[in-house]
Amino acid sequence: MGLVQRAIEAEGIPTAGISILREVTEKVRPPRSVFLRYPFGHPLGEAFNVAQQRTILLDALAALETITEPGTILEPGYVWRRHRFR
Amino acid sequence: MGLFHELPNTLVVQAFKRAPWLASRWAKRHRFVEGRDIPWTPLRKPVAESVIALVTTAGVHLKSQEPFDMEDPDGDPSFRAILSDARKEDLTITHRYYDHSAADGDINVVLPVDRLRELAAEGRIGGIAPLVYGFMGHIHGRHLSRLIAEFAPEVARRLKGDGADAVVLTPA
Repeated sequence: MGLVQRAIEAEGIPTAGISILREVTEKVRPPRSVFLRYPFGHPLGEAFNVAQQRTILLDALAALETITEPGTILEPGYVWRRHRFR
Repeated sequence: MGLFHELPNTLVVQAFKRAPWLASRWAKRHRFVEGRDIPWTPLRKPVAESVIALVTTAGVHLKSQEPFDMEDPDGDPSFRAILSDARKEDLTITHRYYDHSAADGDINVVLPVDRLRELAAEGRIGGIAPLVYGFMGHIHGRHLSRLIAEFAPEVARRLKGDGADAVVLTPA
């Protein structure tokens, strides 16, 4: 995913990516990332958990505005199935 | 640990479903295309005024579109353009390398179109780009250079044509 992200950014569109494998993101080095310690197949969290999906999407959108250093990986620290989203 | 390099991709990922800790071990050992210089484009206007596009590598496409090629061990580097207001019944996921049962029930788990629409209605974003783009991820070997040189830049150019001011990307 990071390669596609880098290509889009290089074309002149700012990007933010959700990452669930920090090691890969650190190697591929996309410009802006939000890392979640979540299982594969769940970048926005659990099915039908609207508050969770919304929060993570807002985190990614906020990363577009707040990250100023290329390659930054933000880590909100939500614990899978434990964090209470509202 | 050289074992992982020789096993077919599908087998490795089946193992990850059962033992997630294997994934980070694999990631540490696997050779990725490593980035040196990081491309950078500053945001031109606040998110609240920006048209946002979604791009996913979770294998999402329309049922009417050709599925991603799961027979090729190097993956399928091509992409599918999908109307961002496509009906959910018309979407499907072709991706054998991760457990997409949650996303099969609620596509927002990998492609948050409903959440983006809600944010647009609330004025938290300026708008939604007309198309989302689906890749399948897990591209290896000879297809990597096609992804980098051909398909990813093509989607980037299309996103510009779509009027996207910023893009959120979601993995599998």
